[in-house]
Amino acid sequence: MDKKLKIIGKSTSKLDGNDRVSGRSVYGHDIELPNMLYAKILRSKYTCAKIKYIDCSKALALEGVEYILTAKNLDVNMIGYKRDHPILKGETVNCQRDEIAAVAATSREIAAKAVSLIKVEYEEIKGIYDPFEALKTEARKINLNGQGEEKFGNKNIAESFEYSHGELKSMKKLSKVIVSRRYQFPRVTHCCMGTSNITADYSIIDGKLTLYSSTQVPFLYQRDMAHALKMEPSKIRIIQPIIGGGFGSKLDMLPFEPICALLSIKTGKPVQLLYSREEEFIASPTRQAMVIDLTSGVDEKGKFTFREVQITMDNGAYTSWGATTPFVMMQAYSSLYQIAACKFQADAVYTNNPNAGSFRGYGNPQATFSIERNIDLMAEELGLGKDEIRLLNANFPGEITGQGLLFKTCGAKPALLKVIEESNYKMKNREKQSGRYRRGVGLASMLHVGGGAKIYRSDGCGTRLKLDHYGFLTIITGSSEIGQGSETVLAMIACEELGIPLTHIKVINSDTDVKPWDVGVHASRTSFVAGNSLLGAISIIKQKLNSKAAQLMGCKNSDFVYENGFIKACEKEVKIDKVVREMHFGNPNKLCVAEYFFEPTSSFQDKDFKGDVSGNYAFASQVAEVEVDTYTGKVNVINMYVSQDVGRVLNPMGLQGQIEGGLATGLGYALTEEMIYEDGYLTNPSFHEYKLLTAMDMPEVHFYPIETMDEAGPYGSKGAGEAPLIPTAAAIANAVSNALGVEFLSVPLTPEKVLKALSEKNNHKTANSQIL
Amino acid sequence: MNFEIESPLNKEELLKTLSNLQSKKFRFGAGFTDLLIEFKKFNPVETTVINLAQLKDEEFCSIRNDSGEIQIGSLVKLAQICKDTYIKDNFPVLHQAANALASGQIREVATVGGNICQASPSGDLSCALVSLKANCEILNIDGKIRNQAISEFFKGPGKTSLQKNEILKSISIPINHSKNLKSGYIKIGKRSAMECSIVSLAYHFQLEKNGKVKHAGIAIGAVGPTIIFCQETVDFLLKQNINNIDEVLKLKIASMIQNASSPIDDARASAWYRHQVLYNVAKSLFE
Repeated sequence: MDKKLKIIGKSTSKLDGNDRVSGRSVYGHDIELPNMLYAKILRSKYTCAKIKYIDCSKALALEGVEYILTAKNLDVNMIGYKRDHPILKGETVNCQRDEIAAVAATSREIAAKAVSLIKVEYEEIKGIYDPFEALKTEARKINLNGQGEEKFGNKNIAESFEYSHGELKSMKKLSKVIVSRRYQFPRVTHCCMGTSNITADYSIIDGKLTLYSSTQVPFLYQRDMAHALKMEPSKIRIIQPIIGGGFGSKLDMLPFEPICALLSIKTGKPVQLLYSREEEFIASPTRQAMVIDLTSGVDEKGKFTFREVQITMDNGAYTSWGATTPFVMMQAYSSLYQIAACKFQADAVYTNNPNAGSFRGYGNPQATFSIERNIDLMAEELGLGKDEIRLLNANFPGEITGQGLLFKTCGAKPALLKVIEESNYKMKNREKQSGRYRRGVGLASMLHVGGGAKIYRSDGCGTRLKLDHYGFLTIITGSSEIGQGSETVLAMIACEELGIPLTHIKVINSDTDVKPWDVGVHASRTSFVAGNSLLGAISIIKQKLNSKAAQLMGCKNSDFVYENGFIKACEKEVKIDKVVREMHFGNPNKLCVAEYFFEPTSSFQDKDFKGDVSGNYAFASQVAEVEVDTYTGKVNVINMYVSQDVGRVLNPMGLQGQIEGGLATGLGYALTEEMIYEDGYLTNPSFHEYKLLTAMDMPEVHFYPIETMDEAGPYGSKGAGEAPLIPTAAAIANAVSNALGVEFLSVPLTPEKVLKALSEKNNHKTANSQIL
Repeated sequence: MNFEIESPLNKEELLKTLSNLQSKKFRFGAGFTDLLIEFKKFNPVETTVINLAQLKDEEFCSIRNDSGEIQIGSLVKLAQICKDTYIKDNFPVLHQAANALASGQIREVATVGGNICQASPSGDLSCALVSLKANCEILNIDGKIRNQAISEFFKGPGKTSLQKNEILKSISIPINHSKNLKSGYIKIGKRSAMECSIVSLAYHFQLEKNGKVKHAGIAIGAVGPTIIFCQETVDFLLKQNINNIDEVLKLKIASMIQNASSPIDDARASAWYRHQVLYNVAKSLFE
């Protein structure tokens, strides 16, 4: 970059920060519309049962109850990624969260009371909660709408992925050390501060449906909603109020959303449905629970030879976007470090557990955990430094991986070197530990998409710009703000390019009737695609401004400089608002507007999942330094050293927020968070028993961005949102193993699990010494 | 959630309200940090809440140390305990337990009385008070005071000896006979705040100059149906000099404390873990 930048790269407070902390932000929960009704859902009593009858008569008789929706006489389509999920269940229930009826009433209390008066008679069936049980031939077909038999040869397989590259057999032969392990991962959930919510407002006059929804993919949501309700998509308007956290949980449209819309359609009144915190735990998406069997090899020189992996995911009763997480996982297995051969197979298996969804990281935390644990084990067996083996195999610029990912820029090695050096890894890793408190360090890296991911027909984003004759700029972007700070980055870009101060920039991004198309917030893509789209629109609006400004200043073909609200050229300057006024009120009497649609150059992968799926790729390494209390098993993370290839830092403060927020989620995944189920029932649906960590548990965070200036991203930047949590659990598990000399094959590393592992190690020692 | 609310402003009004409600269902609320959660879960039916938050009487709201003992009103907020330097210097166990409870925000509203009357086997403050052999001062509707040792006050999980016509007015703790203290609170949980103890251990030893144990109190929490005072261990320790506790004795004491417990498996931890950790942290007392 030869140009000196004025605001890009400088810490800038979030545009919506003051509103958020002062309570002015309007969340979905704050919306009140005239004559609004309140909805509540009756969920299943059993995790697996036939419904014999539903009797709503008593509930209907309650004063204030306006409508009760059941599956009966409902003309709707099924929802979900595989369209295997009925909005309301009329014949069978398959999990704890299954929706049987929904009430709309004049108050929340009446709605709750009415739900308690609905009588349902069930015939309970023995559920299947273990995917391996579900795979057995004798197992019952769990989701009657599933197409596993036809497509994958097993009735309970919801989705399946296979991938391979290289010569597996010969690479196995070349291997000096081969390590095989089975890793297990529980369900965890997003814990958004704002619980799930929707307000639906249907007009019986024009048949239009307005939804105040906290979806993170408004245009896919509009399409899904239209399909579910058999409506014209453009008759559905999605307005996104301030969203109290997404993290992937709002990628799928869930039954409560069309349910609320239907209640509004049936009553002709606005209807609001809010989840309680307990309901949020029970009925919102989770990260995939999975079992990963990974075998990996290394040759005598320390070069990785192959990875062979079999993944069994607990899909739950219905299929969400989450079933496509293998798409991301296979990238990690095929391309994180140089891998000569890879064989990957993953099945999402129906069970009577709640359906899993998508979650920041999208399968990558699980994949990375298995890869990085196996690397430590291989290094130990080979007698090579755990840092050396990683450096030896690190990805490099220009590499085209076995899967066809092209790393035009690659900060993998610099990131590794940085955290190894800053954490003093080499020395600390070798320190022998004794006594009550034992310290350890663990290293892990990750690879993730950094320039969107082409998983839909378009991975693009539209932008419209409107510069008014007071010099204020309105950016109408297709992208959504769900707390990640993209709104602020877009305003910074406009400020940088047009010299308009941040206070004169508005970002409009919350109304599908207004904003142009975008595929949604996922795959760490927003700043990348929306930023590029904005730059495209800015270049068009600049041409218009330049031409008018040239005319006003009487100079031609000059370099135009945009600064502090002025356009400067040939030693003259003119105020930007004056230029707009002259365009608008004078010749050529035109608005100062521009629009642009950006489509990344990435390509669809072929049927074998090969191809360059993203505009660029993000790399990161982390070192965790832990202190383990051998009396209690509690792991205290003291330091996290984080280095990440972000292409270029756009907003240091925003980036730091993403890093720390991601780490907090990664720490919880490593140490405490776990949804505990008994026969499909969640036993800990509260913050009391679901151990989300607090600010008190945060370690010192040492963050070192790596700037590789990737030309595909705005100013050279790459997506950064998901990466910070992906290697965290792996780094922490490696650190705890380093501290104690015991192995962990699952998360979370709870104090009890750690103490048990230690006690087994000690018993083993005692037993051995007795034999001696 | 629907309930009637009565907000007495002083002791007289409180006693009057209490006696008026004797034939009805009522609950006390002061910080409401537990009560509202309970009401959300189990919708209260025909219940009156006696809101104590506006009661301003000294004996309920202050910490006093003028009468040969320290008196803590039941409406004293946990944050007041945390900030009290006399408590910090003289009863570290209580100071540490108050600091370990919930979070900074909750400690600003939650009260001593509320925490005690919840009678949770894992109550942090209660565990410290049992080790300090605190006394409960219970007021009835006739204005009479009944005194009861706090370990007697707890009758089981969520159960106390409090009668319907009574309210916990304050607690008192005997002052220390010695300035030479070994006192502290150990809380085991999965996270560093907003945590319910998996195991807790409160200890308060007053020592003679030479290290001989003069007075002692040890209480353990979350390892039985109520908080347990480790009498046997305390009796044993009274004959010891703290400076002479060797490796063998240390393990013996840890075993004694461990033997006083009767933990169960629950969602938070297994009995095995509780048993093991209690032994380990008991060991750490003399390391």
